[in-house]
Amino acid sequence: MTRTYDAIVIGSGHNGLCLAAYLQRAGLSTVVLERRHEEGGGVNTEEPVLPGFRHNMHAQFMEFFDIMPMIKDFGLEDLGLRTVMPEAQAGITFADGRPPVILHRPDLLDRTHESIARYSRADADRYVELKHRAAALEQLLAANLYTIPQPASLDEQGEMITSEFGDMGVGPQFLMKSPKNVIDELFETPELRALLYRACVEWGYPIDGQGTGAGFLLFVMWTLGNWKLVLGGTHGLAKAMTQACYREGVDLVENVMVDQVIVEDGRAVGVRTRLGEYRATKVVASNADLRQTLLDLVGEEHLSPLWVQRARAYRYGPSHVLGTPCFCLYEAPHYKSARWDPAIDRSFYTMVGFDGPDDTIRYIRDAYSGKVPKPAAGTWVNSMWDTSQAPPGRHAATGWYFLPCASELTAQEWAEVRATFNEQFLDVWHESAPNMNSDNVIAHKLYTPDQMERKNLMREGDFSNGEFSADQIGPNRPFPEASNYRTEVDGLYLCGPSAYPGGGVHAACGYNAYKAIAEDLGLPSPALAERGY
Amino acid sequence: MADIYTTEWYSEVRDAMNDRIATMNGLPADEILIKVEIVGDGVSPYVEAAAERHFLVKIEAGRCAWYREVEGDDPALTLNYRFRGSATTFDEIAAGLEDPINAALQGGIKVRGDMRFLMRQAEQVKVLLDAYASGVQTSWPKGRPPYAPSEQVQVRA
Amino acid sequence: MRDAYDAIIIGAGHNGLTLGAYLARSGLEVLVLERRHEEGGGLCTEELTQPGFLHNVHANYHTFVDLAPPVHDLDVRGHGVEYVRPEVQMASIYDDGTALTIHTDLDKTCASIARFSEQDAETFRRLYTEAHGYVDLLLGTLMYQPPMSVKELTKALSTFGVEGRSEFLSVKLRRETINQFLNQHFTHPKVKAHLAFHGAVCAYTNDVPGLAIGFPLLVGKIDNWHLCVGGSHRLAHALWRDLAQHGGVMVSDADVRAIVVDDGRAVGVRLADGTEIAARRLVASTVSVEQTFLEFLEPAELPAELPERVRKDVKHKDWSLFSVHLAMSALPQYEAAAFDPDVDRAWVVNLGYGSLEELNADFDAVRAGQLPEPRPNAAVNSLYDPTDAPAGSFTGLLRQFAPFSIAQGGEGEWESLGRWYGHRCIEAWRRFAPNLTDDSIIDWVPYTPLEITQKLPNMVRGDWMMGEVSLANMLDQRPLPELGQYRTPVDALYMAGSTQHPHGFITFAPAYNALQVIADDLGIDAWWRQV
Repeated sequence: MTRTYDAIVIGSGHNGLCLAAYLQRAGLSTVVLERRHEEGGGVNTEEPVLPGFRHNMHAQFMEFFDIMPMIKDFGLEDLGLRTVMPEAQAGITFADGRPPVILHRPDLLDRTHESIARYSRADADRYVELKHRAAALEQLLAANLYTIPQPASLDEQGEMITSEFGDMGVGPQFLMKSPKNVIDELFETPELRALLYRACVEWGYPIDGQGTGAGFLLFVMWTLGNWKLVLGGTHGLAKAMTQACYREGVDLVENVMVDQVIVEDGRAVGVRTRLGEYRATKVVASNADLRQTLLDLVGEEHLSPLWVQRARAYRYGPSHVLGTPCFCLYEAPHYKSARWDPAIDRSFYTMVGFDGPDDTIRYIRDAYSGKVPKPAAGTWVNSMWDTSQAPPGRHAATGWYFLPCASELTAQEWAEVRATFNEQFLDVWHESAPNMNSDNVIAHKLYTPDQMERKNLMREGDFSNGEFSADQIGPNRPFPEASNYRTEVDGLYLCGPSAYPGGGVHAACGYNAYKAIAEDLGLPSPALAERGY
Repeated sequence: MADIYTTEWYSEVRDAMNDRIATMNGLPADEILIKVEIVGDGVSPYVEAAAERHFLVKIEAGRCAWYREVEGDDPALTLNYRFRGSATTFDEIAAGLEDPINAALQGGIKVRGDMRFLMRQAEQVKVLLDAYASGVQTSWPKGRPPYAPSEQVQVRA
Repeated sequence: MRDAYDAIIIGAGHNGLTLGAYLARSGLEVLVLERRHEEGGGLCTEELTQPGFLHNVHANYHTFVDLAPPVHDLDVRGHGVEYVRPEVQMASIYDDGTALTIHTDLDKTCASIARFSEQDAETFRRLYTEAHGYVDLLLGTLMYQPPMSVKELTKALSTFGVEGRSEFLSVKLRRETINQFLNQHFTHPKVKAHLAFHGAVCAYTNDVPGLAIGFPLLVGKIDNWHLCVGGSHRLAHALWRDLAQHGGVMVSDADVRAIVVDDGRAVGVRLADGTEIAARRLVASTVSVEQTFLEFLEPAELPAELPERVRKDVKHKDWSLFSVHLAMSALPQYEAAAFDPDVDRAWVVNLGYGSLEELNADFDAVRAGQLPEPRPNAAVNSLYDPTDAPAGSFTGLLRQFAPFSIAQGGEGEWESLGRWYGHRCIEAWRRFAPNLTDDSIIDWVPYTPLEITQKLPNMVRGDWMMGEVSLANMLDQRPLPELGQYRTPVDALYMAGSTQHPHGFITFAPAYNALQVIADDLGIDAWWRQV
């Protein structure tokens, strides 16, 4: 059985779906081949514990919807994408009940100021100022996200940092600092530092990674507190994207594992699957990760020694390796810290179990070095804003633990973690929120990096499909020779988070891959003047 | 006696149908267009093996208003019913050797159209079928069925 | 989502999506709203055990895919759906190690039956041949158009003299049980047991008076069960794709809480979060009668007696299904394969019912709220769709007739009994296939009647046919006489799901029939009525 299309997209992660929609609209008959039985990859919502309790199994933060081109270009809001934006966005709370630190939505910065100022007025002023500046850069930052990176951009970054933030004591050397160095230099409050360390890592900037300090200023500060949640769960985005694909006429085939990219005379002409061959007259694009794409699907015999070397050297984890605990609750947590600021009980994202920055740093470093850290988590209780995510009168809570890379533990050890870690965390949660006792928890489950590896082929459980170290980001991602979505195999493109800008729900990898393909094939550019990308 | 499948024969069948219908009350006023498709099966000598003969029959207020032989399907026409079967099946019905209801039940004649209406007009339909099957005496110049009882090909429409 | 559409359909099960696709193709702006996070309703397929194992949570058998007009009209295969028709459709394995197998090859089926009774094999051949001849005609007549009454139907069949032309069809069937029919025509208890089992799996319980009338039709399709490659939900995706390609929109995670009525006319819906969406021309509900008339509408908007009628007179199935979904590393190797090697390739296997009395006794027990000693049926889809599990692994599905409400305790008891009863069902399987040791079972989960209703509230009290299957609840009486023709007492509000004629299962028929009524009422050109 052979089917012939103009374009084949391997993998229906949100980047693959984005690319497919644009390709089909540009007139290429397109098929998306998905290994799993449903679309979306990391944009995934399930009921893994009890019916009626929904949990986002991977992506939680939806911060790019205002700038994501596909949403406007394909009318995703008419196709079922609905969101809500909680007022209190990120908070950290403490077992001793001292005041929380809460970052609010950008239109409510005065509340953020008030919250930080309880600890340090200087930090509050500085945070708000940085936030203003980052917001003012939004147009530029968005354009950067949705544009194929150029090697020169590193120098540009240094200039931008200095011109935008120079008066705040920021200089080009910040580019070379680690995020921790930057945070420590800018802020003095331990509680705020603790929150920011974790937030930074959640955006994949390795906390001690020298050379990624600019990421904190230009990226993390921009996205902090900009988060929406999708009604029904993040997979609502996947569903709307799928509907857009269907509307354009894309063929979506689930449950088909691609075993091989067929290369003839140095050109990608199709793929081989369990079900037979699919042929592509123009494009094969892979949303799968780099090593899988180049080494497993293409094969070393079709690559130059340099590319084989680069692919083998490409690293996964430890920064974007998480575990997702899912809790079915009667009540949402009520924090001791709420007596200082009740907004902590209604914060979109709440850090629990971190007493201070040293605690947070040790937690992160433990996970990075292959140890299971102490139980502590970032948590979400989306059912507080979206009653469809839990049965009436109940709540569904989801969390993120930083955990070691999948290969750091044996299968037995992971099973042990799944069997015990949630209970340990619940004890910790109980310390910060007295109502989080065993009576309040109906059931729970933990989804670990080894399972993520199997379910979504996220090597090591790394949702960015590649570590965010300085040598693997920006115009170096996944490596300089492959940084513009093209590969050395004609007609084969990368469109997943192994490419720039990496993990996160922005669809930029897919959008930019489309730009590269459009350039190569003379297809219409998706860029719109009014948005600048 | 008219030869089977001649113009005279069809006219006699139509008259037989209309005579019987004339005695019925409460017939719907509807105009109904029926297509009858007789498919050559290599057994009946009346239709060539790879050929088909198609007839349009117009029913108005229960009576057969007209019929005519046509080629293929006219996209401009809206059919209400289509009856399709092998030539031998139609021959057998005309010869009284096969019952039209049986033919439909066994899939020998495929029926498409508003079956609910057909069921509600069961009496009338039965009358029309009886008229076709036994309303007219006929002669069989090319022979009458069964032609080759053990080798008959059932044409699946 | 916009704030107004021409047609709003509540529920994206296969009926809702089918109706939506037809209306979209007819030029209406269509919105289909689904409470769950996945479209498809009973078509849902999930990785209940381990990643890579696709379990059909509900609908596993697609029997009408060559007959149902929507499959052709909506180009289901063009949207990527593939069906497999297993060569060995079904089997019964009896306690003494003998077995009976039903094949797509009639001769093989008859040869299998003949090992128990030559006479029964010949009777079966006659029954099948006769039924196979008329089944498409009768099902096309009965299922795929708005219903006649039983009276009209029997009058027509009588006028056409069908009874006289059939060895098996007769007007007295409408008073008989399937048991009685089988006792009249067949002799061997095991043969009768298999045929009755077949009826039961089709929800035509063998001891219910009047269901004999449908039995010949069930036999006519006894070899026509199809498996949807990649899981039943592939069909849901295909229907959704057709809807989307023709301009319709399906929104999931949208919980309808009310139908908005203005001056006796349905004009829109309201979601749980307060969003109101207007419907310019019609609202169609494919969920339960109870949800539609007791939750979504106010008593003041309905005829005075209707709410009470819904509460008292809507009849539900008196038995449900307990399932076990398994991820396995071995295929079952039945000891009965020594008797008939084909059992190892049978798609669906009846494990143990060897007589009508055994079936009757279990149904009696279930109706009394008891859990019978398990005699589940087992389906291994991977035999015919290897893509539903990772290479070298297999999915298994055990289904056991079970009550919704357990005596002394009610349905809540299922929360603590699920694992225990699941173990018992697996043990029952193991008795016939001893190779299914714990080592060959990677993982398994129970799925109780209570969970059916929790997952799909439109399946009230575990009623997966969305209404009792009985003569009194058939055709134009289903679910209530005043709702039997898809219209409701509220203008522009239609019922188009499995509560309606014919009933549940993947038939597409309720939607297709509702479509006819809607087309007539709204003056929509019925382009699909090609003759």
